Amino acid sequence: MTQERTADRPRVDAYEKVLGRALYAADQPIAGLLHAMTVPATIAKGRIEAIDMTAAQNVRGVVRIFTHEDFSQIKTTPAARGAYGQPGKGHQPMTSPVVRHRGEPVALVVAETLEAAIEGAEAVKVRYASEPFSARMEDDLASPEAEPDRQLSSGDAEAAFATADHRVDVEYLHPQQHHNPIELISTTAAFEDGELRIYEGTQAASAFAGGLAGMMGMDPTRLRGVSPYTGGGFGQKNGIQEQSVLVASAAVLLRRPVKLVMSRSQLFHTASYRPRSRHRVRLGADEQGRLLAGLYETVQQNGRYDGFACDHGANPPRMYGYGAWRGSDRIVRVDTQTPGHQRAPHEHPSSYATECAMDELAEAVGMDPVELRLANDAQSDPITGKPFSSRHLADCLRRGAELFGWSRRMREPGALVADNGDLIGLGVACGSYKASMTAAVTTLRLFASGRCDIATSGHEMGQGIRSVIAAELIEILGVDPTKLDVRIGDTGHAPQHITAGSWGTGSAAPAARGAALKLRDELSLLTGAPLSEEPVHVQLARTRRPSLEVTVNTIPLGKDAQVIEQLRRGIPSTTGPEYPDFMAFSWIAHFAEVHVETSTGRVRVKRVVSVADCGRVMNRRTAESQVRGGVVWGIGAALREAGETDPRFGGVLNNDLAEYVVPVNADIGAIDVDFIDQPDFKLNMSGVKGLGEVAMVGAAAAVVNAVYNATGRRVRHLPIRIEDLL
Amino acid sequence: MRSLSYIRAKTVSEATEAFVAAGEGARYIAGGTTLYDLMKLGVERPAHLIDIASLAGSDRIETSGDVLFFGAGARMADVAEDGVVRRDYPVLAESLSKAASQQLRNMASVGGNLLQRTRCPYFRNGAIGAYPCNKREPGSGCAAIGGLDRGQAVLGVSDACTAASPGDWPVALTAMDATVEIQGPAGPRSVPIAEFYRLPGDTPHLEFAIEAGEIVTGISVPKTEAGRNSTYLKVRDRESYAFALASAAVALAMDGDHVRHAHIALGGVATRPWRAREAEELLTGRSIEPDIALAAGKAAFAEARPGAHNAFKIELGARTLADAIMTAGRKMQ
Ligand SMILES: Cc1cc2nc3c(=O)[nH]c(=O)nc-3n(C[C@H](O)[C@H](O)[C@H](O)COP(=O)(O)OP(=O)(O)OC[C@H]3O[C@@H](n4cnc5c(N)ncnc54)[C@H](O)[C@@H]3O)c2cc1C
Ligand code: SF4
Repeated sequence: MTQERTADRPRVDAYEKVLGRALYAADQPIAGLLHAMTVPATIAKGRIEAIDMTAAQNVRGVVRIFTHEDFSQIKTTPAARGAYGQPGKGHQPMTSPVVRHRGEPVALVVAETLEAAIEGAEAVKVRYASEPFSARMEDDLASPEAEPDRQLSSGDAEAAFATADHRVDVEYLHPQQHHNPIELISTTAAFEDGELRIYEGTQAASAFAGGLAGMMGMDPTRLRGVSPYTGGGFGQKNGIQEQSVLVASAAVLLRRPVKLVMSRSQLFHTASYRPRSRHRVRLGADEQGRLLAGLYETVQQNGRYDGFACDHGANPPRMYGYGAWRGSDRIVRVDTQTPGHQRAPHEHPSSYATECAMDELAEAVGMDPVELRLANDAQSDPITGKPFSSRHLADCLRRGAELFGWSRRMREPGALVADNGDLIGLGVACGSYKASMTAAVTTLRLFASGRCDIATSGHEMGQGIRSVIAAELIEILGVDPTKLDVRIGDTGHAPQHITAGSWGTGSAAPAARGAALKLRDELSLLTGAPLSEEPVHVQLARTRRPSLEVTVNTIPLGKDAQVIEQLRRGIPSTTGPEYPDFMAFSWIAHFAEVHVETSTGRVRVKRVVSVADCGRVMNRRTAESQVRGGVVWGIGAALREAGETDPRFGGVLNNDLAEYVVPVNADIGAIDVDFIDQPDFKLNMSGVKGLGEVAMVGAAAAVVNAVYNATGRRVRHLPIRIEDLL
Repeated sequence: MRSLSYIRAKTVSEATEAFVAAGEGARYIAGGTTLYDLMKLGVERPAHLIDIASLAGSDRIETSGDVLFFGAGARMADVAEDGVVRRDYPVLAESLSKAASQQLRNMASVGGNLLQRTRCPYFRNGAIGAYPCNKREPGSGCAAIGGLDRGQAVLGVSDACTAASPGDWPVALTAMDATVEIQGPAGPRSVPIAEFYRLPGDTPHLEFAIEAGEIVTGISVPKTEAGRNSTYLKVRDRESYAFALASAAVALAMDGDHVRHAHIALGGVATRPWRAREAEELLTGRSIEPDIALAAGKAAFAEARPGAHNAFKIELGARTLADAIMTAGRKMQ
């Protein structure tokens, strides 16, 4: 059985994608399509005084130029951009003459061709009254919020820290980062079959469609959100984009289909990003390295009016058995677009800071960093006192150390030298991510012909959720994957909960499994006998019924039937990490080996070993890919990526993929992945916890700790660049 | 809509005549990897494209005569993979194979490569924000000075512009005393590569010593035994597919253990491909030792003028050059 469960199966949609047959949102063939392009604001803050459209209107092919005067009726609701569900927050550009960040759309040019739209947009002349601004949290007009966003504590951490035998008190800086999924963000709006269909590669089709309807004052049942495939989301596509409602409104006003694909350079200014953050970490330990106290204060940049929370403090206290803890997270407001969730949104920066601080503590105590972590392993959560549903972090560390050859590590920095003179450093760090679940309404149909289709909640963003759903159906029903149609991401088929936060598998797998089990039950009722080993469709055929359909509502642990109604209305309804009887997290340990060239300070990551405890592994192939992707991102965060803002202008200067440096193949050495693969049935019937996010948590810290082990330098900001090690 | 005419020329004279006939707004296009990019950024707005990618014989690679000759239309990938170039002039091959990506090298010509423009982010970003930039809009000022200048040059800078010259191949050619062969409406001429690139001075928008309508037909490189002991070292923010933070082209002509003559040029650190004569002189008559190599590296940066965030390029550039000298020296054995 276990063999089957963790089978290394090809993705069910692999051929579609490789052959270019998978149609993404912007690929939909729609007759009479108009093309739109936005005019980006060239100031960081102020007001539009006048818009001169004469030249643009004369561009052949331009159909209509919209400004804020056309869109003033659009409502900024809690579903709007940047509001994050909070009334009074968020900012929808082009609903007033106010400009709140550089690059925000100030006009929308719609034309018969893309070329005309681009040329028209370039010809629009805007006169502004600009106002003083600060686009970085270090600058004069940045304003810190008076109250912390979140505080967590247990025991008297200050006192415990003051009397600890060993103490570290360090501050780490994490830069602004941009997701840059390969699929650009696009919106296509078209009236089809009496409803307004919005094709957009979103991670949240129901919230998106319902939210748009609310902003536009439309009947939500007349608006359908379709997200056929998402070409990478990573959290950047989990809400309504700055242009979504503008394009939808343009289609309504023009009574014609309209498409807009935001260019990469503009996305750096309109899409969300991981905000810059500062982390002060104080750790106190006794002589044996036992953690007596953790004090953790973070500050994170946010837009002037946005609702994105600062949540760095949520995970670190759960990592180890702290005697006492106190954490607080604060926001500093600046003049940028809204930041947002980016893969392991707070867990990655907070693990960077706290896991590097653990490395510093290991040195202060004089202990091996793996040993220090093992000595502080915990089976219950220091904050709530609840036990963890499952925690195999110690096994991750032990197995990882073995696979990696951790015993080669020398405590003295720079003591391991390669044949070519490079300094070799080995580093370790751990991570965790909450195990969440959501509701689903699933309809499963089996045909006597062997065909099978399933409609449920989920968005395929490359993580392989279609393959996860298929895996459950293959296991329970033995269906043929080539005859299986998985319908997700479309509010026309089933309500679509936002897919994010690593709850996709933990929600979709039990939903598919539940439906499959119910179908077996119904079939055996029909046949009047327990099912045999024969294929289910053959047994169905014998009943002379052409098909059998079941619908199942999946209600996650700790919730009641109300979540189904919330799901239908597009309201997020996740559970976890706190459940009635336990806390649930996925865990991971990363080991990194770096080689540092002594003359130039170039760092090369030769090898990473990562061992994860994510509950049951649904598909070894997609699971390993998830972890490799997370590790690559961690390496990028440690050594490459940073969005750069010139304080005089605002905006992001390195706004393309040539200058926003992400790792390339030549930067990545071996990445070996292994799993504990112990199902967590306390959480759900599939035994799944979640993997996509935890994969990245701690990876950057492992690299940074390895750089220290090679060079003896504690660089306390990211990315570590050549000039930091020269 | 902006209209664009396009013709494909078959001979050099057909191309130059077409250029004259087209008048304002004419541009030659070879691989298009720079030109299309600049069109998207709004730096270039050509009205007429004259495609010179398939001029008869323009992709010639000639290694058997007294000089090496590379037709301007030869692809970067083809020159980088040429057997003689790789064996006898690794500095040339490496400067190409470490540039851009394989896909780009398959398209890009070695002639077009000479004419690529700076990566200064303020220059490239003008379409979205109209930053002051004297290269883009003469007289508008320079946003890079006092701005995010980590990537800017430290050598050859002026108060009007500090933009780094981006190319790798031009650096190797500068070290190897190449000559640029040019054909214009008025006839052929040869320009030593040292005179092909201008310093920014007060006129940073004037970058190349080539007149409108002239065509680069080829590049000649004098043959030298120093080619064998040569290397191109490129240090960048990632291991591939990035422009140089600092690079060094080094070729050494030796008398036994001693340097008779060194050819040295630097990239990523200067406003044009930078011949490092001070470093060459310092090496002359010396044997190749780490401390001498580093002294040569430091000598090359004696006149450096850093900005706010790029002072590290002085140290990095010196060490990069020192490493390149040691590598070239080791090829002796
Ligand atoms: C993403 C990216 C990364 C890159 N990385 C690097 C790098 O790391 N290192 C590096 O050195 N380069 C790099 N490049 C630059 C690349 O090498 C150049 O774009 C290429 O060499 C230009 O050649 P082309 O034939 O495509 O020129 P084109 O784009 O066709 O032309 C460039 C310019 O030269 C003119 N022109 C072309 N041929 C002639 C001729 N024969 N006579 C007169 N005028 C001519 C054109 O009118 C145009 O103005 C990179 C480019 C890109 C897009
Ligand atoms: S350095 Fe040169 S290219 Fe860059 S902004 Fe200044 S003038 Fe323009």
